[in-house]
This record gives sequence, structure tokens and C-alpha cells, in this order.
Amino acid sequence: MSGAMQPLAAEAIAGKVAAGARLIRWLEDGDPRGRAALRDLYPHTGRAHLIGITGPPGAGKSTLVDALVAEERQRGRRVGVIAVDPSSPFSGGAILGDRLRMQRHAADEGVFIRSMGSRGQLGGLSRATFDAVLVLDAMGYDRVIVETMGVGQDELDIVGLAHSTVIVNVPGLGDEIQAIKAGLMEAGDIFVVNKADRDGADQTLRQLELMLHLRTRHPSGDDWQPPLLAVVSTRGEGIAALVDALDHHASHLHDSGGFEARLGSRSHHLFLGLLRDGAARRLMEQALDQPEIAALVEAVRSRRIDPYSAADTLVARIHLQP
Amino acid sequence: MPQRPIRVLLAKLGLDTHTVGVTVIAHALRDAGMEVIFTGLKQTPEMVANTAIQEDVDVVGVSSLSAGHMRNLPRLAKLLQEKGGGDKLLVAGGVIPEQDAPAIRAAGYAHIFTMGADTREIITFIQDWHARQETTAP
Amino acid sequence: MNKPEKPQPPAAPEIERIQTAQAAWTQQLHAPHIAARGEWKTFTTQAMHWPVKALYTPVDLAATGFDYLRDVGFPGEFPYTRGISPNGNRATLWTMAQVTGFGRGEEWSKRARYMLDQGLQGLILEHDLPTTNGYDSDNPLIAGEVGRAGMALDSLEDLEHAFDLPFDKLKYLMSVCNAPQPVNLAMIIAALEKKGVDPGQFVLHIVNGILIEYTCVGRYIYPPAHGLRIATDCFEYIVRHHPNWQPISIIAAQLQPARANPVQEIAFSTTIALAYLDAMLARGFDVDTIAPYFHYVINVDMDFFEGICKLRAFRKVWARLMKERYGASRPEAMKLRYMSSPSTTSLTLQQPLNNIGRLAIMATACALGGAGETMTTPLHDEAHALPADEAIRVGAAIQHIVAHETGVADTVDPLAGSYYVETLTRHMEDEAMVEIDRIIAMGGALKAIENGYFQRALGHEQYARNRALETGERKLVGVNHLVLAEEKKEIEIWRLDDDMEDRQVRKVRELKARRDNAAVAHALEQVREAARSGANLVPACLAAVKVYATHGELCDAMRDVFGVHHPDSQTSGV
Repeated sequence: MSGAMQPLAAEAIAGKVAAGARLIRWLEDGDPRGRAALRDLYPHTGRAHLIGITGPPGAGKSTLVDALVAEERQRGRRVGVIAVDPSSPFSGGAILGDRLRMQRHAADEGVFIRSMGSRGQLGGLSRATFDAVLVLDAMGYDRVIVETMGVGQDELDIVGLAHSTVIVNVPGLGDEIQAIKAGLMEAGDIFVVNKADRDGADQTLRQLELMLHLRTRHPSGDDWQPPLLAVVSTRGEGIAALVDALDHHASHLHDSGGFEARLGSRSHHLFLGLLRDGAARRLMEQALDQPEIAALVEAVRSRRIDPYSAADTLVARIHLQP
Repeated sequence: MPQRPIRVLLAKLGLDTHTVGVTVIAHALRDAGMEVIFTGLKQTPEMVANTAIQEDVDVVGVSSLSAGHMRNLPRLAKLLQEKGGGDKLLVAGGVIPEQDAPAIRAAGYAHIFTMGADTREIITFIQDWHARQETTAP
Repeated sequence: MNKPEKPQPPAAPEIERIQTAQAAWTQQLHAPHIAARGEWKTFTTQAMHWPVKALYTPVDLAATGFDYLRDVGFPGEFPYTRGISPNGNRATLWTMAQVTGFGRGEEWSKRARYMLDQGLQGLILEHDLPTTNGYDSDNPLIAGEVGRAGMALDSLEDLEHAFDLPFDKLKYLMSVCNAPQPVNLAMIIAALEKKGVDPGQFVLHIVNGILIEYTCVGRYIYPPAHGLRIATDCFEYIVRHHPNWQPISIIAAQLQPARANPVQEIAFSTTIALAYLDAMLARGFDVDTIAPYFHYVINVDMDFFEGICKLRAFRKVWARLMKERYGASRPEAMKLRYMSSPSTTSLTLQQPLNNIGRLAIMATACALGGAGETMTTPLHDEAHALPADEAIRVGAAIQHIVAHETGVADTVDPLAGSYYVETLTRHMEDEAMVEIDRIIAMGGALKAIENGYFQRALGHEQYARNRALETGERKLVGVNHLVLAEEKKEIEIWRLDDDMEDRQVRKVRELKARRDNAAVAHALEQVREAARSGANLVPACLAAVKVYATHGELCDAMRDVFGVHHPDSQTSGV
């Protein structure tokens, strides 16, 4: 098994863009070659500062990421971006539009932008997003920014993925309190009011300030005090301060051991998730092998037995083989 | 069951800003289950090539309704080759005179769709190509 | 002997008698006919998809609350449904214009002289894409585009050459250069000064239509709010210094090919006009002074009645907005002035001769709905080839045929009173007002552009209309109906002329080496300062072009201050 590295993995680690891009594709498509490459990439990960950008649709996340990329490039860092857009629940297709706003960086060899469809993962970030982050990390990008859709579970998932989670809000989206999901107040590391030149920005800032004041501690017990920043992404205003805050947060994490801890927790989550999927797959195979499966399916169909009892019957017979 | 949608980059090169055709095709490809990325307007061949590589699309479709196509289309094809994107399906569409078509095809474009081409024809062309790739892939 | 007269029951009102008769007709004749024979399709208007009934009668008009004096009135009177002239086309026919592609670079001057010699008094000055997008010809980004779609304009030098014209014959010049408008305006003013042209004896007409560029055309540079400010600066400069010139055109005819339906076309273009108007009012002008400056270009597409009713409703909507919402009191402020044109949207690449038929029908619709001050006809084989003499001749002939052979322009607004036309006109007006109110509630056209409402609405229409063609719901001869197998489609476009581009590049580079560069740097800083301070940009640009600052340099100076417009997924329209 061991021996030569998966060739594309070696190229990706050497920073070859086409190779990294293809690996992400394999991982996204569930191609088994992706797994093999990931094994080789994994030891080369853990260096990038992973930044999550989340907030409701219409908050101007793409524009903010565009401005962030520009500022990080000013500071000489190489930046990877993963932008997730919803896939159509009907066709499975998607128009992935986040990139459009960042396209001025397309000629910059120090920037890698990848658009991803949610591909049915409406409930949260897909594993492919986690995997793509690993690839960009291994390729040597100093910053890897993930822009979420800002719907459903993905806002909370990003917290488990990123070192620093930036929660973006804007004035005028209606009930401000509603706009921040339960749990995000605690989990956010940096809070941003975008489009701060709009009417109502002061009110949004005041509300957030109050909420931050009342918020309970980060679940990890971290004593970081999340800053609240006003920015106008379209004009780049406040973006330098945001990057300062991100840098500050990164050094805070390094000093407190949180940088590794958060990564560790991320790997731990990933590991548990993979374990769950793998175990379930093996158990399913066993369950489907049971001779009485056909009879049980028929019994459920004809309502002689309820689905819960039928499943219990089979689960009780499964034994983990040594 | 992993989903493996075909990924398509739609690009506008140069200063031509006509987008009706691109809009219609983008929506049609999405409804045919493809993932579509649009570059936006005023792109250079370098920007489009980098985008196609980073996004690892299967297909690059270039819409051209201006005069620059004889410079820009071959340059994009060449850049894609150089940057490791030579396996992508390249197609062009828009207003491309018949006398320029041989040179465009020779540069690596598999098909030139004329203005107003039926989106179903475009979808079938892409799907057929993709199916052939799948069967010949290792 | 004489029997006392029996008291007659009072006659039922006419509308009730018609209603009763119509109910009987429906029951005895129409419904059984449909039951027996069916109908061969579902009938709707083409762009709006409004159901079209088999029959329109006074009952339909009554249902809309139709009131002749209020809804239609008389020609030359509010609400101008029957036109803005009291005597229609009977004093003079509309001006028959022919807009054609206009050569390039210094050839423009030669062509312009030729056209003036033919007796034309007006010309259109179109620029190439580098110019309209704010680049000099030596910008590496734009290689291959110099001088193609129009004239390359890098510096005052180019206009000095182009304006080698008999200005005793040239009375009107229309210029299309929206995003860099103050630069373009300054160059024309400076060139006219150099030629000693009396600006009072000449009309410069600038389109100045940046908001439609953001909505669908795409030739923008700066973010929309700055685009509006720039346009307003040019508007204001002309009103203050050259009040006989034309500072604005609302080209609804660009929304229509982007698939705006008639309601959207009226509502989007009108609210765009209101954005400029509001900006001028905010600078202290009054509506009676400013509203008369507005001029529109409006297309008519193939649905005959949609086109006719759109023109009638358009005039009504503008008049009502100016009078009822803006408190205008001068009739001139309420009159919708426009140029009409058959649309190119339904012209087909296939079987191009069929397009002559289409153009004749659309030109007839323009004449029936009101041709406006001017009508222009596109060319039937425009998609195929360079403007050929034959196509230009046929395009002009179509208008003459409509005007002289059909009689449709002999009486004023001849379709007024048609139950269908009045019902559809009223419906279009009502729906347009609803849409206008929605846009105003959103904060107006600028906000609708910034949040992408216009762009997304058009994208939706583009896809829906294409689907209607592909599913065969809409038939287009040559495309999905009566298709010829193996049709040869030969397309010609301007061939590359690298020499011409190289010469233009050399010209601007030589200029940059030769001129007083210290004076240029100073002048450009003044432009930046005006951009920052909010002072009108035109005087600063005028000073800069006179020391031969280039078009691209001036646009860059404004880029330094305003930034550049990057659309996102919400505002790109795709």
C-alpha cells in the first residue's frame, strides 16, 4: 500500500494549481482516487489560517471576501477561497455566482478561488467543503477563506471548520435579532456590520454590541472578546481593520493553544463523521444480506408490521464481526 | 451515492457585453443538472484560463459577439494547454463568421454554436461528450 | 279618443342591454362553437402572456372603468393617449431616419461628409468599445477592438480630425458615450470651439444613458451611484450653458432587446428617467424646466397590439407621472417625446428576406401607435453582413410605404375606440403604474439597479422567452416553424485591420510624448478634486482635454476616486 505518493497529491503539495483543482473535484465527486490522495496530503495540512465567513443571504459576503482577498494580498499572503452556493433541489444543477464578485483576482497567481454547489447538503456544509480546505491548506495557501450560503445548519458547521469565524450582518434585513442564529452569537469570533454606510447601520451596531455584551462564553471556554467592526466592502473601508482582527485572533489562538485545539476538534469531528458513515455502510451491507429482509420489506409494505419494529428486528441480529 | 454534475464555465472575452445568450444558456444548463460558473464581463484569456483550471470545469464555453475572437479564442486554448487544462471541452458561440471557423476549430474548439442555437442542442452536445469521457476514463 | 299614453318603462342603460345580448350570444352561438370545434391554441399576448379573449365589446371597456375624456381625450391634450400633436402626422410626417453602422476612426469624417452632401443635416457619432468603456487605444486589455464598433476617441486630436466637416450643413449631432460622458462632452465642446462653431446654431444631443448600461447593456465603469452623479453633472452643464442642446435620451429600445416585456419597458425606463429628474430637482431645478428635456427611443416588437398599446400607454404614464406626481404645469413637461423603431429582437438570422415582412408590420404598428418625432428602421440582414446599400434602401423604403401607401397615418390615432386596443392600453397603463410604484417603494431605479432587481427580472424574461421558442409555444418562422433544411448562414463582420489599430496606438503614444505633461498632470488632479468635492465634472474635464489629457487618463482619474463597478451574482443579470 505505502510507497509512492499519489502523483496528483505530490503535484498539489508542490503548489500546482491544476492538480489541486482536480483533487478537489475527485473529493467532491466521491471519486475513490480522492481518498487515496487525501491520505498523502494530510501530513502537509495544519498550516493555513482557516477563516469562515457566514451571514444571511444579502449580507454582501462575496463582496466582503473579495475585499479581504485584496487586503491579504497587499500583505503578501497567498489566499484560497471556497464559496458555497445552493444547488437546485430539482435538477441538482446550480449557477455558482459567488465567484463573479471576486473575478478581478482571476489573473493573480497567488489566489485560488473555487465555487462549490451544496449538492443536496442543504442542511449544512458538505464534507467536500472540509476536504477542499485540506487540499488548499496542503497546497500552501496562507489563508483559506470559506464563504457559506448562510442558510440552515451551514452557519454553525463553519464554526467547526474554521479557526476564525466571521459573522456578517447588514442593516435593514428586518429583525436583527432573528438574523443571527441561536448559537452563532457564542461561536462567532469576529462580528462585522457590512454596508455600514447604509441607513440603520448605527442601530444594527448598537444591537450587536448589546448582544455581544450579553453573550455567554465560547463553548471552548476561550476568553477571546469578539470585536465588532463596521465595514463598507464595496469601498474597502474597514477591511484593513478586519484583517488586523483576524491576525490578532490567529495570534490569540496560537498563544492559547487554540490554533491546534480548534484544528484538533475539527479533525476529531471529521474522524467521528467518517467513522459513522463507514460503520453505517458496513452494517447496512450486513443488514441487507439477512435472508428475511425481503419478507420484512413486504410486511412493512402491507402494513403487517410497522417500519420501526421491522428495523429493530434486523438491527438486533447484526453482530460486529471481529 | 455521490452526485457528479458536469461543471461548465461560461466566459465573455474582451469588451463585448452582450449577455442575453449567456444568461439563457446558464439557466438551461443548470436546469439540465449542470454546475455553471459565469466569469462576468471584460475578461482576458488569462483570467478565463485560470478560472477554468481552479474550478476544474469539464467544459469551457466562450461567447463572442465582437471582433476580438480571432485573437482571444486561440490564446485561451493555448493557455489552457499550458496550464494543465488541455482535457477540457472547449466550445464557442455567438457571431463567428464561417471563414474564421476552421482556424477556431484548429485551435481546439470542438464546436461553434451559432447565435440562437437551441439550448437542447448544446446540452446534448455536452452530455454526449461527457458520456464518452466517462467510458474512456481509466 | 286619444288613449292616454302608456308610460314606457325606462330603457335599460346601453351597457346592460349589450351585456344581456352578449350573454345570449355566448350561450347560443359562441360556447356551442367552442364545444364543437375547440380552439387550436391558448391565446395570449406574446410578451406579457396576458390571456386574449375571442371578443372584446363595450362590456370589457366598462369593466376597466373606461372614461373617454379621462383615458383617451384629444390629440395634443393631457393625457396625450392620442399623441402629443393636435393634428397627428398631417402637418408633417415623422422624420424618417436611418441609423447605420458608421465606419471607424478617421473614415468617419469622410462618411459624414458624404452623408451631409446627400442632404442629411444630422449625424450620429458612435464610438468603439474601448472608448465607451473608458480605455485609450494603447491599453493592452483592448487589443483587437480599436475603431471597430465606431470611432476611436483618445484625445481632442481625434475629434479635431473627425470634425473636418462643413458645419454650415451639420445642424445636429447625436453622441453615444455613456460611462465616460463628461470626458466625451468636454471633447466635443472643445472641438466645436476650435472649429469656431456657434453652439447656439447647432444641437448636440448626448444620450447620457448610464443607468440602462447597468441594467442590461454593460458598458459601465464606475459604481451606479457615481454613474448617476456623472450623468447629472452633464445634464446640468448642458441645461446651464447650452439650453438648446439635448442632454438626455432614455433608450427603452435597449431594454426591449434585453427582453423587457412592455410593462417592464415602460416601468424601468420611466423610473430611470425619474432618477435623473430627481437628481436635477435636488440641484434646484424645477420640473417644468427639466421634464421637457427628456427624450426616449422606443421599440415595437412583433406582437402588433402589444406594440401599439405600449406606445399609447407610455405617453399616458409619462403625462400622469409628470402632472400628478411631480406637479408639472407646462404641457411641454408632460409630453412624451420619442423616436420609434421596429425591434431587431424578432428578426431572424434564417431566411433574412422574411425580415422585410416583419419590419413592414412593426413599422405599421409604430405608425398606428404613434411614430413619435422620428422613426428609424433597422436592416433586415443586419445579423448577416455589413450594412449593404440594398438593405439601407429597403429599410428606408419600408417607412415610405407605410407613410404613403397604407393610409395608416392619415387620421390621428386611428385605433382609438377599439374595444381591444382600449382595454389593452388601459391594462398596460395600470400594470405599469403598479410596477412603477413597486420600484419607487424600493427606493427608485438606482436602488433597483444596486440590488439587482432590474437585472434579475430581465434574466428571468430572457430565459422564459427562449423556452417559449424552444418548446414551440411561440412560433418564429425560419427558427422553429417552416424551417429550411440546410440553410447556408454566412455572417460577415468587420475584418481585423491591424494597421488601423497600430496607427491609432502610435498616434496616442506620440501625443503623450509631445504634449505638456506637467499641465496634464495638474489638470488630471483637478478632475480628481472635482470628483471628490462633488463639483461639476464637466469644467474640469474641459480644461484637461484642452491640454490633451487623453480619454483613458481622464477615466482613470475618476476611477481613482469612484472605484470600479464589479457586479455580483445579484446584479449581473446572469
